[in-house]
Amino acid sequence: MNAVAAISPEARGIRRMLASIGRFTRRRVTFLLRLAALAWGVLREAARPLSWRPMVRAEFRRILRQAAGGGLPATLITAVLVGLVMVSQALYWLGEAGEEELVGSVLVTILVREVAPLLIGLIVLGRSGAVTAGELGSVQLNRQTRVLLGQGVDLFTLLVMPRVIAFALASFALGIIFVFVALIVGFVAGSLLGPIQSSIFSFLDRVLEAMRAADFLLLPAKLLSIGYIVALVVCLTGLSAESGDRLTELLPRAFARGVLTIMLVSLVLSLAA
Amino acid sequence: MAERHPILDLKDATPRMLPDGVINAPLELRLAAGEFALIECPSGEWAAHFADICCGLHPLQRGTVQFLGRDWSGITHMESNALRGRIGRVFHDAAWVGFLDMEANILLSQRYHTLRELPVLRSMALELAHEFGLPGLPVGAPVGLTPADLARAACIRAFLGEPLLILLEHPLRPGDTELPVPLINAVSTARNRGAAVIWFTPDDAIWRDRSVPATHRLRLSEEGLIRPRRLT
Repeated sequence: MNAVAAISPEARGIRRMLASIGRFTRRRVTFLLRLAALAWGVLREAARPLSWRPMVRAEFRRILRQAAGGGLPATLITAVLVGLVMVSQALYWLGEAGEEELVGSVLVTILVREVAPLLIGLIVLGRSGAVTAGELGSVQLNRQTRVLLGQGVDLFTLLVMPRVIAFALASFALGIIFVFVALIVGFVAGSLLGPIQSSIFSFLDRVLEAMRAADFLLLPAKLLSIGYIVALVVCLTGLSAESGDRLTELLPRAFARGVLTIMLVSLVLSLAA
Repeated sequence: MAERHPILDLKDATPRMLPDGVINAPLELRLAAGEFALIECPSGEWAAHFADICCGLHPLQRGTVQFLGRDWSGITHMESNALRGRIGRVFHDAAWVGFLDMEANILLSQRYHTLRELPVLRSMALELAHEFGLPGLPVGAPVGLTPADLARAACIRAFLGEPLLILLEHPLRPGDTELPVPLINAVSTARNRGAAVIWFTPDDAIWRDRSVPATHRLRLSEEGLIRPRRLT
């Protein structure tokens, strides 16, 4: 009697269950390990001048234009809405309660530290991340990687590195614009809603005064990290597409992973600050 | 006196059997500068597989493949990429990167491996475009071009930048009567400056055609490369 036949049906069931748990865990861990390896790889390669060949620079410019230019209208609209809803309301109600001096710290805590990086991450993910996942997924599924490898083009240097750096810079630029526009629009709307005692300059001054030294690091760190990690997630999702996968499945997968990582990065950096 | 290496040297090169592998026999081929192998093979997939072996993109279970005297298995990833930059290739299928426009696709290898200025590359590509019968460099996305224009664009890319090895995987579409002459002329020009050329064709008539000045006429089959005793 052979060994396979000796296993009872109950033991086989347990084995199958353990195998499926192992498969699930391995897949998730593999994705995280690849993400970590890519993150380190981008930092290392981007520091080498030789990596920035003319074609890589052209690709970087194209992606930066797409991510920053393409995300600008959505950023401005979102900033205006946040300014109208959040900043003006904070100004109005804190003014009504006679706590106008708290405006700076409330806005720094909520808008600058938390809301701005989160919303910018979602804008970059939705506006440019989906495009990238589609582009790279299509390259992978249609075996166009073969034409790149056949010409001696390194997939990581051409497809991943410029996208990650461009997304990080675009996220930073859009985040700063977002905060500035939201504050200005919020102040103007708050002025129209009720009697605000301070001028725009003293309002901005109060916001700046409420920022601790760590906040000046936290906002850029969050924006750059979120852009960086969003690009890594969508690149990895696109390039790890397997035959049989469809673009309609890849895009929601990239989006869901992106949202999770944005929240995770934001949470970790907030706790660390 | 230093020995001059052949451009391409396959010695007992037996590809490791992969799920997508089609050739499973030892391959022997030595091409010196200026030599031209015309290989009849039944499918584009076989041609692509053989070309991948020549470019060091397919692992071997035995034997060696050397390009410019360097064994693909003994060099680093960066070195092999740099060497592949000296190979011009017409790809049988999935030849174009969908998110890049035609100009970026054609100039991709040169802009990746060289520091030549964009206007210089454009004028080189334009010259080749005229040779292959196009009024200018193709523009727009690859999906917007006709198969005939894509075949010419593939030739421009393969010959751009004076590559030392040129691999042509089924470069002619059936019924295309205008491309063969400029292609043969381009092959002759490349050979005169010291390049080696491998042209894969599924067409027996082209393989027998004496006006194609090949120095080696071979057939690719499951048994490897076969040298027919004579053309009949």
